[in-house]
Amino acid sequence: MISGLLSGMTNGLGRALLILCMLVPAVQAQEDVAVRGVVGVILPEVGQDESLRAALVEDVEQGAVMAAEEFSMNASLFGIDFQVVVEHSPAARETAARLRQEHGVAAVVGGIGRGDAGELSAWAEESGVPFVNVAATSDLLRADECGAMTFHLAPSAAMYIDALAGWFVRSGFRRWFIVRNDSSEAQDQHERLVSALEERHFAAREVGSSVWESATDYGALAGEIAASGADLIMLLLPAPDQLEALSSLDAAGVEVMTTGFPYPAAQTRAFFDASRNAAPGLGSGFRATSWEPTLDAYGARELNARYLQRWGEPMEAGAWAGFQAVKILYEAIVMGGSAEPEDVAAYLGAENTIFDLWKGIGASFRPWDHQMRQSLYLVKINETSSDRLDAALLVGELPAIYMPGTDPVERLDQLGDLEHASRCRGFQE
Amino acid sequence: MRSPGGMKTALAGVAVAALLGIPAQAQNEDYRVYVSNEYNADVSVIDPATNTVMATLPISGRPGEVRPRGVAVSPDGRTVYISVSDFNPQVETPEDKIVAIDVETNEILSEFRAGGNPERLAVSPDGEEVWASLEALAQGAGYKVEDGSEIARFPVGVEAEGVAVSPDGRWVYVTAEATHSVTVIDAENLSVVTHRLVGNRPRVVEFSNDGTRAYVTAEIGGTVSVIDTQDHTVIDTINLGLDSRPVEIAVAPEGDRLYVAGGGTSAVYVIDTEENEVIATIREQMGRRPWGIAISPDGSRVYTANGLSDSVSVIDTETLSVIDNIAVGRGAHSAIVGRIPNEG
Repeated sequence: MISGLLSGMTNGLGRALLILCMLVPAVQAQEDVAVRGVVGVILPEVGQDESLRAALVEDVEQGAVMAAEEFSMNASLFGIDFQVVVEHSPAARETAARLRQEHGVAAVVGGIGRGDAGELSAWAEESGVPFVNVAATSDLLRADECGAMTFHLAPSAAMYIDALAGWFVRSGFRRWFIVRNDSSEAQDQHERLVSALEERHFAAREVGSSVWESATDYGALAGEIAASGADLIMLLLPAPDQLEALSSLDAAGVEVMTTGFPYPAAQTRAFFDASRNAAPGLGSGFRATSWEPTLDAYGARELNARYLQRWGEPMEAGAWAGFQAVKILYEAIVMGGSAEPEDVAAYLGAENTIFDLWKGIGASFRPWDHQMRQSLYLVKINETSSDRLDAALLVGELPAIYMPGTDPVERLDQLGDLEHASRCRGFQE
Repeated sequence: MRSPGGMKTALAGVAVAALLGIPAQAQNEDYRVYVSNEYNADVSVIDPATNTVMATLPISGRPGEVRPRGVAVSPDGRTVYISVSDFNPQVETPEDKIVAIDVETNEILSEFRAGGNPERLAVSPDGEEVWASLEALAQGAGYKVEDGSEIARFPVGVEAEGVAVSPDGRWVYVTAEATHSVTVIDAENLSVVTHRLVGNRPRVVEFSNDGTRAYVTAEIGGTVSVIDTQDHTVIDTINLGLDSRPVEIAVAPEGDRLYVAGGGTSAVYVIDTEENEVIATIREQMGRRPWGIAISPDGSRVYTANGLSDSVSVIDTETLSVIDNIAVGRGAHSAIVGRIPNEG
């Protein structure tokens, strides 16, 4: 399905922009250049039994559509034809190739999950067309599988783990019990978490762990947790499994603060609602996110309000990622003055390129693994929520961006792997 | 003074004083500093002789819902304009308006509608027009002061923010935060001339006193773009540092310096306009998050509106140091200097 995006504008700013585009068609553009840039957004087809993933996909699409509406209008002011094509497909790699052939896309956006992101990253390296990953957190994609044409807008697992460790340890939670599944991704997260606790936080440590499976005996697990003396439980599980674990541990009488790895599907309001409902005791805890629709500072009020007006629902993390991915590609084309894929990649990766993600600080892709530096947020699931907007309460930001006297790049690099720790060595000249 | 027209008047006064052999200082008018308090829904009026708040002017009885932000002053210095909106940027409410305040009496003279979340303002040099950035609509609009009627409105970039009118009244520049652009409007022919890319998240634009340059701060980019107003091209970019987060600009009466409020870093950057270089950074004793900035008619004092410390810092421009901090209302946003005749 290819969406004609501007046709979807029905209200608010979108309507205003469309009308203005029609009424004020041409002024002298800055350089009088005639550039045409097309960005492809590739999203998976989601089954009806995957409600959390479906919510994420819808969010990413809506964010991308809103960005397309805003920035295609703005590109026209500069004499540039900027378009976004959205496709839902079970075969990300083939779809990317077709979009390149049919539309000449300058870059693709996608990565709803490790599988799609891996496919698109591999295609990007093969085709020389940049790929912006909006939702895959796997550190492996930034390490052994890193690529010169892949740019990670989605925060990495290492960044989330560092943020969570920082928040909870500073709040006095120093005895961590880790519940994970037996996937290699969860194992990597586990090792990274233990490393963060041991190397960055004095006196914080892992006091126990358990490998989760569908037939887990929660009574026994609750006993293990109690015996360990843990003051925090970390669930390194996919979003649906986190809900089951929360529910079961809650039912088993566990009263230890519990959080989980913030996979993008676990950052949705749908997840927060399900968590609160599934586990009255444990399910209203603190969670990490890449964006929060109640964020008010740094111009976020305006962005969140525009989205709310456009779609009638809060701008969740997935929507923010879809919006920002399109925006940074718009900037690469308009400010870089070219829609050639290699030029777009060069703009994205240049060390002096700065992006405004509405987080109040200049963000940039780290040169050693193309991970976007950015701050993250801590929210508390609202146990008395009455609507989707107040399903979570913003309680923290890490790193704190107001730290005069410190280098902003070093400040942001407090999260994630620094160059010396990176296993990506493949694309730097 | 932020108003180019006001600056022009101030310079004319200096020139006349020189001709008459009268020290320029003696020609100074009395002035007051007006500070919009975003979260208090009011405006603090500061007496610079005592550095105290002499009056607080209510804009609305609903603080926290109604937000005064942008400020501008008429060329004669006698009328201060405040842009007022609400905290729900996408909803049109009666609060979206522009309020005019008489400097001599501190009374509200008039108000008129400016829908679309007006954020910042500028007054034409003849004092007859007010131009506003309409943030929620991605537009710039002009209004007649006399009756509030709309002159025209034009598309600009997304999240319109800064607005300035050139000293000759010909050009209106409007910045857009989300799209890093400045739109140039021909105020005589009422048409859009061009759009220019500047630094990341442009906030405020101000013209030089002679009108040959326009300066645009970029909050995320940490730069000030210098635009040649002859052809509206960016001819220089002053780098304040990635973390400088510049917002408002005050142009010194002599035109030789810019004072730039570095909001997120609680600093004021002093720029030499001949070299386009930062010559000093004022940090000590600065209030937190200075967004607004204004300069006294004689150029001896700079005032910053500090949004996180709810204060105004007073800077001595000779020593480039903070000499006082004045408590104002919650969320001090912008500052402007209004003038009244010196009856003595």
